[in-house]
Amino acid sequence: MNALIISAVWGVVMMFSGILLKQRSGIRNLAVAGLVLLLVSNILEMSGTVFFKVELKGMIVFDRFALFFDSIIFASALIYLFLSARDMEKVGVNYAEYFALIFFILCGITLVASFKSLLILFLGIEIVSIPLYILTGSEKKNLKSNEASLKYLLLGSFSTAIMLMGIAFVYGATGSFMSAEIIASPGTVSALLIAGMTLLLFSMAFKASVVPFHFWAPDVYDGAPTVFASFMATIVKAASFIAFIRLFNDLFGDMKPEWQLWMAVLTAATLFVGNITAVFQQSVKRMLAYSSVAQAGFMMFSLYAMNTDAVEGLLLYVAAYSLATIGIFAVLNKMSDYTFDGFNGFAKSQPVLAASTTICLLSLAGIPLTAGFLSKFYMLRAAIDTHKNLWLVIFAVVMAAVSVYYYFRLIQAMYFREGNAHEIEVTPVFKWTMVVVAALVILLGIFPNLLLYWFYF
Amino acid sequence: MIYLLQEELSKKVMDVNDIASYLPIGIQIVCAAGLVAFLMLVTHLLGPKRKTADKLQSFTSGIESHGDARQPVAIKYFLVAILFVLFDVEVIFFYPYAVNFKGLGWSGFWAVLLFVGFFLCGFIYIIKKGALKWEE
Repeated sequence: MNALIISAVWGVVMMFSGILLKQRSGIRNLAVAGLVLLLVSNILEMSGTVFFKVELKGMIVFDRFALFFDSIIFASALIYLFLSARDMEKVGVNYAEYFALIFFILCGITLVASFKSLLILFLGIEIVSIPLYILTGSEKKNLKSNEASLKYLLLGSFSTAIMLMGIAFVYGATGSFMSAEIIASPGTVSALLIAGMTLLLFSMAFKASVVPFHFWAPDVYDGAPTVFASFMATIVKAASFIAFIRLFNDLFGDMKPEWQLWMAVLTAATLFVGNITAVFQQSVKRMLAYSSVAQAGFMMFSLYAMNTDAVEGLLLYVAAYSLATIGIFAVLNKMSDYTFDGFNGFAKSQPVLAASTTICLLSLAGIPLTAGFLSKFYMLRAAIDTHKNLWLVIFAVVMAAVSVYYYFRLIQAMYFREGNAHEIEVTPVFKWTMVVVAALVILLGIFPNLLLYWFYF
Repeated sequence: MIYLLQEELSKKVMDVNDIASYLPIGIQIVCAAGLVAFLMLVTHLLGPKRKTADKLQSFTSGIESHGDARQPVAIKYFLVAILFVLFDVEVIFFYPYAVNFKGLGWSGFWAVLLFVGFFLCGFIYIIKKGALKWEE
């Protein structure tokens, strides 16, 4: 509750900061202060301090899972601001508004993480999506950004319409929006409920860019300004997975046999298309876009398995994936050339940044001693615990091996190619934050319980 | 019935695909099409017919039309128009409150006050941003 209200109010505060504050550094500091406040108040709520008492009629429930997830998201967003807030200046003139939109997105994320009613899910998804359409097109003079924004808006609203249809079907079948009452509907499952569930599955798969609903993702991530592509590919993607898992755990949990094989097929397709297409990319930004599709395939395991391991694993995965991808995107944003060749000789000019980027890449590839390895391990273990579809696990391991190729290509370009990666300007804050990101990736890879401990206590 | 990709069914799926369950939809279609046909027929049969040249002219709120509608319009017009629509629609929320004014009591009052507060924030924001400055 704390985070929900503070993020909404702080969004309005950021809106006005653009008028009242003339200095851009002032706006940036205000945003960082707001995010710290958000994180602290959310952690306080985890230990029982709630600032606002609002009668919610059970439509939103801030349980341990939601609050813990929100904390991970706010922490990642804070790191994101430290790394990328300065680069948002390059995008356009409405500096304060970008932060305002980011706070509104965070408000939507707290909603989708804690919904108990389909109405709130819809509201949350829309509050997340609409600012994203704007952020995608925020580089007004850039034709690619405009194209990406229009594409995203059209496809996004189409999938929202499908979601609404699904919600209407579920309401028609059970007579309620509340997840508790939808589960309780006894006896036979009506075909209407199955139809509603399928439509919801499709629209959520779209939001999470799961194959075959992923076509928008590479184009939008490629066209959007790099700073915002980074935000979309990490924090927002994690949020759509949380909504996804909440939906299928809370509402359709007892219909698992009906959808489990669907999930398995979607997982396999996502892993295959994401990884194989990423191999052929020449631009690092586009490679990261496909890599985010491929990583979504691994996150799909949590939906497929849907047990304790899966939920823990997803939380770890979200943290590991967000950290690593935010780091790589932040470095990419500093480069003038987005192709693999643009990174040639990067290790010579910026040894510290190259080393931390390498650690992030290793984590994404799932090399042991990084957070990426353990989170993948959790996912696969959860899938094995279901005692069926072992082929899926084997397939995932093969695909993870394929992913090593394109991640290591970047490492190779940085370390083993002669080249003149342009001298880039980095502030000490940027450099140290990258080191912290790399350190966190390794720390979570060795002691995952540092994070997961907070989930239970 | 065809089960797509389902390993086993946790609960028996109700069979609703028999023809009888489509009956209400059929009745709805017949009624909808029937109403349209009926109204068209009745107006043609009963309505008076006076054909004059004035009736073929375009009618805009009683003002005589002049010029061509297809000419470029300043982008500022769209901004003002869209802001107008936004605020106009928001005012609609007052209607249900006005109807239930007594029933909602103080909690309803605070809720509406909060709404108006946000509403005012948006208004101040667009004024400060200069969205309503016409001469520039």
